[in-house]
Amino acid sequence: MRRQLAARLAQSLIVVIIVTTISFFVIRSAPGDPFSYESTTITPAIRDHWREQFGYNRPLPVQFIRYVTSVAHGELGYSFQMHEPVAVALAAAVPRTLLLTGLALGLSFLFGIIIGVLQATHRDGWFDRVTSAVLLFFYSLPDFWAALMILLLFAYWWPVLPAGNIVDPVMHDYMGGWEALVDRLRHLALPVLSFTLLTMAGITRYQRAAMIETLPMDFIRTARAKGLSERRIVWRHALRTALTPMVALLGLMLPALLGGALFIEKVFAWPGMGLLAAGAVAARDYDLVTATVIAGSVMVVIGSFFADLLHMAIDPRVRE
Amino acid sequence: MMLGPGVDDSFGRQLDVPLPPMPSEMRSTLLLIASAAVLVGCGSKEGSSSSGTAGGTVIIDTPGNAVAIFPPYVDDQIGRWVQDLVFDRLADLKAGGTTIGDRGFTARLAQKWTWAPDSMSIAFSLDPRARFHDGTPVTASDVRYSFNVFTDPKVGSPTAPTLTNIDSISVRDSLTPVAWFKRRTPEQFYDLAYQLVVLPQHVYAGIPADQLRTSAATRSLVGSGPFRLVKWEAGARLELIADTSNYRGRPKLDRLIMTAVETPTAATQVLAGQADFVEAFPVDQVPKLDSSAVARSNIEPQLGYTFMGMNQHVAKSKTAPNPIFSDIRVRRALSMAVDRVGMLHNVFGNTGLLAHGPFPMTASYADSTLKLPAFDTTAARAMLDSSGWRVGADGMRSKNGVPLRFSLMSPTTSLFRRRYAVLLQEQFRRLGVQVDLDFVDGPTAVLRSQAGDFQAILHTPGTDPSITGAKQFWGTGGIGPAGHNILPYSNPKVDALLDSAAAAFDPDKAKAAASRAFQTIIDDVPAIWLYDVTYYNGINRRITIPQPTLAGWWMNVEHWSIPADKRIPRDRIGLTAAKP
Repeated sequence: MRRQLAARLAQSLIVVIIVTTISFFVIRSAPGDPFSYESTTITPAIRDHWREQFGYNRPLPVQFIRYVTSVAHGELGYSFQMHEPVAVALAAAVPRTLLLTGLALGLSFLFGIIIGVLQATHRDGWFDRVTSAVLLFFYSLPDFWAALMILLLFAYWWPVLPAGNIVDPVMHDYMGGWEALVDRLRHLALPVLSFTLLTMAGITRYQRAAMIETLPMDFIRTARAKGLSERRIVWRHALRTALTPMVALLGLMLPALLGGALFIEKVFAWPGMGLLAAGAVAARDYDLVTATVIAGSVMVVIGSFFADLLHMAIDPRVRE
Repeated sequence: MMLGPGVDDSFGRQLDVPLPPMPSEMRSTLLLIASAAVLVGCGSKEGSSSSGTAGGTVIIDTPGNAVAIFPPYVDDQIGRWVQDLVFDRLADLKAGGTTIGDRGFTARLAQKWTWAPDSMSIAFSLDPRARFHDGTPVTASDVRYSFNVFTDPKVGSPTAPTLTNIDSISVRDSLTPVAWFKRRTPEQFYDLAYQLVVLPQHVYAGIPADQLRTSAATRSLVGSGPFRLVKWEAGARLELIADTSNYRGRPKLDRLIMTAVETPTAATQVLAGQADFVEAFPVDQVPKLDSSAVARSNIEPQLGYTFMGMNQHVAKSKTAPNPIFSDIRVRRALSMAVDRVGMLHNVFGNTGLLAHGPFPMTASYADSTLKLPAFDTTAARAMLDSSGWRVGADGMRSKNGVPLRFSLMSPTTSLFRRRYAVLLQEQFRRLGVQVDLDFVDGPTAVLRSQAGDFQAILHTPGTDPSITGAKQFWGTGGIGPAGHNILPYSNPKVDALLDSAAAAFDPDKAKAAASRAFQTIIDDVPAIWLYDVTYYNGINRRITIPQPTLAGWWMNVEHWSIPADKRIPRDRIGLTAAKP
């Protein structure tokens, strides 16, 4: 098992290196550079001066070597968009995205699994049909549009929750502990709700299918023959087996969640990694783009790694 | 551009807002200290209480992050807001004031100024009350230092080209900087007094010029304007508080919070009362503002105009003539085929402003009497026929087997230009001209426009109030790396007239020469003049604002106010420091 883990780690490292290299060259091959923003006063001569000052006029391989060398020394570069070292910008944005996606992922899996199990145990009944239709509706909505509609619904037409920002931009700093916590939760509500609704449908369908496959198995029949209660059979024995594919799904969903974070963060003005990356790409903030890709790939790799560990823990066949 | 007053302590505000729980003993001790500070340190200062005429917090939603907030690098709109709220210029441009001479200006950091008999130098008398936000007096050395920073090639300030006529600044005494000019020009006062922002030498002088851009010190602004920077979380939030002991008087508001929120969400926040102000509210949503009990609209014409430019050369080429646009008859026919008024109504409803030529109507040199090509599709068709572009069986025009077809580049960042592109495409199609829409992202648009890599372009130059700004866009000298003449357009007659306008010391003569230059440009039809840029700002109804200045709403934010009876909890936090 240790060898497996070591191999997995080595593989992950290679993935990160490849992704970094690709992102470095891809963003630099796009038209423009950090100094190509629209301006009415900056002349091309000034732009050229800045490019020279920061080495963006050098050949790409030279820039790549400089970049790799600085990353090896722990320097991720400087963000012209954020006006601070890239590491500082990431340190602020990554926890915000992890909070948002982590909560949404947890809630999606929690409700997705519960609903999926109930759908499977009440197959073709009214609950199965109604929840399937509702979830399919949310699944088929474009992320950006759905998030915007949720925002309008709860922040404008029926204004019960704040429209965007991670906290109240003025009063939060003046609130006491509980009040501040409630404020944070209120601001989390809409983005997490949007995220959860949009991702839960897929999880539910997987869980339903896995459960339907599991319920007719011999060990379930044996459990029933032993006289175990149906609730115990479903939630303890069948679910454990049916969860195995969900663990694989968890690993697969991490990249999609980070991608989805972009839309949610944009709509809800949530200054996390998605927004940071989108802004960096638009501004051709080279170092920040590459760093967000590195951070994203590291998060995905770590997530997948833990998903593998979990898989090994619950499925003895994988350990062997 | 700039504006504003500013410095002070953050003590002494009334503590009538919810504070983090703390032991009552500690709270009363702090109250005691605060009261003492008010009595001892600020007793003579006006309006440090949010319960009187001064007070209130305004949340401004910004469409993104400032590209830069340190004045030598400021070029974008949001950066300019911050700069003009935190820093001062030597003099302010009056609303509608001319940039020629000094008649159009009012005192700011400089109380008065004295011209040398030969007009080759101006001695400014700084206001002795002026202080930077750290309490240090503003001196002549700061003015000299600022000039040196802005013009240092290692800094690479975008403002540097506007300061080239200034030879140097000397220090006569601590309150008298003297600007020495290379030559006498009508706008030499404007060049210095309005373009130069005064920085504190003692704060920034220790940073090498080539490291200023990445220095952390340039994130912590220290100016002498009406507001001072408390905190900047790039990409998220920027906080300014009133400089209550500012030499020009305390701003009526206590605090400004700028949060980065994109337009659809920002509009929702303003309508819901969560935010107080957003610039450029979505035009199609403006009726919601007008019917809202929470917010209202505020129209603000800008110093910008939009046109469809026609590249005189083949894309990317500096010399080869464009086979379509090099023929003035084609350019004129295209211009006459466009229903500019109809498009304006389509995009802006009843609130748009039609462009009158290569200038915004907000400029002091604007002229609404110039004659533009009339909207006449019959004449346009006849003109294309006579120039050899005939309609084929498919309804599209061609000449010698070459179709009358071109691409129209527009940045995706501009909703209005995207809409105009679609409308233009349809109108040209009716004429038998095929237009391929070429939507590109911001950086790509900049790069390609500078390289001449386009056939036609929807462009919005933001001019400055000076007439010389027009030379950058329409003079031959603006072609190439030194300017913004991207089409590129060149006419010696226009160059001469713009030179005359820029050299005239009489504003009326300058305007007359500029009008002739603009009419010549219009007659040459290098572009189709579409609309003047106008913003429909969304603003909370509890905020009272004076008439906006020409330069923008942010230029008089220190005069914004919130009546005491309309204040909401966030207006009543005063200047109390937040918990750490």
